[in-house]
This record gives sequence, C-alpha cells and structure tokens, in this order.
Amino acid sequence: MIHATTPPAADPASALRPRRYGIAIALAGLVVLALIASSILNYVYLDTIPGRASLYGLLAVALVALGTFILVRAFERDRAMRRKHIIRASVLLGLGVLLWLLVIDVFLYTQSAGPGVAAVCALACLPTTAIGLTVVRRLDRNHKEPWRLVLVAAAWGAIVATSLVVWGETVWETSAQRALVPGPGLDTSLAFMAGTLEELAKGLAVVLLFLVMRNEFDDVVDGIVYGAAVGLGFNFMESVSYMTNVYSIFQPEGVGSVAAGIQWYNRQVLGLFFGHATYTAFIGAGIGIARQLRGRRPKVLAMIAGFVVAIAAHFSWDAWVNVFPIPPTLFGIVAIHLRTLIMTGPFAAALIALLLFGIRYEGQNLADQMRKEAATGRGAILPEEVPVLSSPWHRLRQRMEAFRRAGLRGYFKISRLQTAQLDLAMERWHRERKEIDTPLEAEDELRRRVIHLRHWVAAS
Amino acid sequence: MSATTYDQLRVLYRTLLVFATVGVVILSVGLLQFVYFERPGQETGVKAHIVGVFKFDPASSQTAGPDRSEFARSEVFAAVVDWSSLPTNLVVDARWYDTFGSMRGVVGPAHSSDLSGESTIPVEVPDNAKFVLPGRYTFVVERIQDGVPVEVLGRRFVLVDRQ
Repeated sequence: MIHATTPPAADPASALRPRRYGIAIALAGLVVLALIASSILNYVYLDTIPGRASLYGLLAVALVALGTFILVRAFERDRAMRRKHIIRASVLLGLGVLLWLLVIDVFLYTQSAGPGVAAVCALACLPTTAIGLTVVRRLDRNHKEPWRLVLVAAAWGAIVATSLVVWGETVWETSAQRALVPGPGLDTSLAFMAGTLEELAKGLAVVLLFLVMRNEFDDVVDGIVYGAAVGLGFNFMESVSYMTNVYSIFQPEGVGSVAAGIQWYNRQVLGLFFGHATYTAFIGAGIGIARQLRGRRPKVLAMIAGFVVAIAAHFSWDAWVNVFPIPPTLFGIVAIHLRTLIMTGPFAAALIALLLFGIRYEGQNLADQMRKEAATGRGAILPEEVPVLSSPWHRLRQRMEAFRRAGLRGYFKISRLQTAQLDLAMERWHRERKEIDTPLEAEDELRRRVIHLRHWVAAS
Repeated sequence: MSATTYDQLRVLYRTLLVFATVGVVILSVGLLQFVYFERPGQETGVKAHIVGVFKFDPASSQTAGPDRSEFARSEVFAAVVDWSSLPTNLVVDARWYDTFGSMRGVVGPAHSSDLSGESTIPVEVPDNAKFVLPGRYTFVVERIQDGVPVEVLGRRFVLVDRQ
C-alpha cells in the first residue's frame, strides 16, 4: 500500500489508505450480521424456507466456498498476485451472497402465487425498470456514471435493502397491531416504520457507494443518480411482491390479472419516478453535497438532511394516501393520477430543482477547468474545444458529425475522446478543491490518455 | 476556488437544509397525528369479553361450531361479544378490519347496554366479491371518546387461508 507519493496527493494529509474504507468495512460487516440474524429469525418465526430454496441456494453456497478458497490461497502468493486473487475472491463472495439473498427473496415474495406468476410479474417490471435506470443515468449530462455501478446500486435496492427490512418491518407491524388502536394511529405508526426502515436500508447502499467508490461519486448529481437507481431496484422487487400478492388474493374472484395490472401501472408507470426513486435520490443528494463540503459538521448535517427529507417524503405518502380516496367511478382514473401528483409531486419538484442546480454547478466548474487545462498548452484540451465540450448539445452535434463522416465507429471514437476530456476536467476540479486522494500521476495519466485518443481519432 | 463556486455549493447545502426543515415539520405533524389518535393515559383497565369467533351462516344469522382462529376463504365468520362484561356507561363499538386495514363490519358506537341485541358481529364480504379476502383479520372492541376510538378493550386475530 502506498503511503506517500511524489508528487504528493492533492490532499497532503491523505495517506492513501482512507479511513472511509474502514467505515465501509464496518458497515458491510454490520449489514452481513443483520442479514444473518434476519435470515435465522425469518426461518424460526416467520416462515420455513421451502426445500427448493436450499437446492437453488447450492450455487450460492458453491460461489461462497470457491471465493473463500481463493481468498485463503491469495495470502500464499506474492504481493502482485495477491491483489488480483483477493479481487476475484471478493467478486465470487459478493455474487454468492447476492444470489442467496435473491433465492430467499423469491421464496418470501412469490410463494403466495407460484413461481410462474412471479416470473410474469418480474418480466413485466423489467422493461419499465430498465427504462427508469436509463433515464436516471442520463440525468448526468456531463459525466455519466458507469453502468456497473448503476446496476450495483439497483441490485442493492432490489435484493439487499428488501431483505434488510423484512424482519424489522414484521416485528414493528406485529407489535403495533397488537398494541395500537386500528385506524389512523396505527396507519401513522406503520408509515413511520416504512419511511424509516426502508429509507435507512436503501440509504446504506448510497453511503457504501460513496465510501468505496468515491472516485465515481463526484457531486450532488451523482448522488441523485445513485440514490434513484437504488430506489428503482427497491421499487422493482416491491412491485413483484405486491403484484403476486394481489394476484393470489383476487384470482379466486376472477380478477387476479386486473388487480396485478393495476399494481403494475401504479408502481411501474405512475410511481416509477414518483416514489422510491425520488425518496432515495434525496439521500443521494445529501451525500453528494456532503462529498464537496468542508468540515465534518456540515458534511454530517447534509447527510442527515438527505435522510430526513427521504423519510418525510416516504412517510407522507404512506400516512396520508387515504386522505385522497379514489372514487369507484371513471373519475377514479383521474383521481389516481392527481393523488400522485399532489402528494409526491412537490418532492419530485424539489429534487428536480436540486438536480438542475447541481448540473449547472457541475457544468460551470467543468467548463472552468477545461479553460484552465487549455491554457496550459499541454494539448489534452484545445482552446477551441472548450465551447463544444462545455455544452451537451454541442458535444452531441460533434458526435453526429463524426457519425456522418465515419459511421458508428467515428461516433464512438469521438465519444470516448469527449468522455476522457471530461474525466480530466472532473479530476482537475476535485484536485483544485482538494477532494481527491489519488496522486497527481493519475491526472497525468488521464492527460496522456486524452492525447493518445486524439491521435487515434485523427488517424481514423 | 472562486467565491462564486463556493457560494453555489452553499446554496445547494442551504436549499437541502430548508427541505429538511420541511421534512421535520411533516414528521412532527405525523407525530401529533399519532398522539391524537393514540392518546396517552387512556387505559381504563376495562376488558371486553370476546366469547369467540365462529363460523357464521348469513341466511339464518346464526353462528355454528367451535371458537376458531383460522377459516377457509369460502367460509363467513362472526365474532360474539359479551357486552354485559362492560360497564353500561361506556360508549363502545366493535369492528372487523381486513388484511389491508379496511373495515369489514361494525356495530356501534353506542353504550354497551344498548348493544346487547348485537352480540354477533359478522365479517362482511366486499362488494362485488364472492368470498372474504384472504389474510389476517383483526377484530377489536373499542372505547369511543368524542367520536374517536381511544382504547382497545378486546382484540382477536383471525387468519383466512388463501385457498
């Protein structure tokens, strides 16, 4: 592990072994412990996992076993090989845990209607969730997040966050139903439960992404993207769960498919962005703003603020959704849309305001860094390129011109060059603000990459 | 770092703090709502005697069979309350709630002495439905004050199978 570099890192206090990794490991350890406890308690008190779960879970067990084997052997190897083997082991262990959680999720959520219905429901939710993730990723006009991280965020929301809340919500709900007066008081208690537990479980994913992948977590815009992705993943699994549940309830009346279809529309069309995606995006916004603030107090306050808004938004929907009854007439169709607009619309509007301001803030600073880079005369960014790179529309026009000249190949070449130049500007921005702990060589490497890509584009 | 840039980040930070303040207000309103409907210090110590939950025949309005906690979906059931177990001056009601928290049957509110003729409280089949909905049903006998249920005097849970 490198402890000092020449030239030094942007933040001289950084030892390149940031404390945030320690925090991330502690958080991940807590999550694993919570999941183990939750699984045992679910098994003992809620429901025995059918035998098929053990069968399907064998692959997960095998992955964990193989991952552990590689991990143990990694420490017998030289330092260069050790890192590679530890990464392989981590990937296998992670896949094993995710697969096992997925198996448990599938059985918890689908045994009511059967795997066939659950599969159809999941297939119905996949395209809408994919569209949601694509839209969310494209929100960052200047510096798109890598698909692998967006998908990891969504997978956490779908698998880990849903597993984390099962036990806590069951205990809370059962206790409240035994102790409280049914009606608005109980509804309020359950709304506090959903708002608090679900947002904490989802928010944990965004916190871990921030701690582990800070180089891909630039600012408020990135936070909103990752938060919304976690929310979309959670919404996917919750939609499958609700659709299968109402199908099994209403199928004996002959309207199971209609009931499931209404759930699909409410959660995958109307509530795709106006729901979990909006709530958890606020957590991401808080973490994204905290990432760039100086001082521990404002950082902590920004993170707490994000969680508070998310919990309040989620709570308000669950607690007061019955204030807007849906009449069993044709107007009911309008009323459903109005209810969502009135109850979640203000939160979505507030989030869009943060997003637009964040995009503007990011864009202005990237343009500033591009001008400074161009002024150095090192050739990575030329002065005449700055106006083009500063505007998403001008960048698109440049790519389209390349497409007309050289087809898809030309389009993607220009796209890679633009991305590398924006990466360089982002790196400069963070370095200027002392928000980065990679050595200066990383910036030089980015610059070399841009110049190499420029030659590659010119040669084609 | 320019002052403008710094101010932009502060604007974002302060905007988020304003949103969080609104969030705190929303959660406080929720807390007040909870306290209003779940008023502290309302325990009278009175317990309602729920005789049991029995299979119910809507045609004859009669219960049959033993006290049960689980029913098939095709069965209709009813709770039987011994209203004489309650002081006559209490205003009470009895309600069924289904798994979604919707009310599925009620008697009262009235003084317990006025409800002696309504000791059997059947669960209602939803409109346009052939069967009761499956899931967990809650039956409660509540004390009413100022038109608001403030205390549960008796409670029973019943499971309706999906099949």
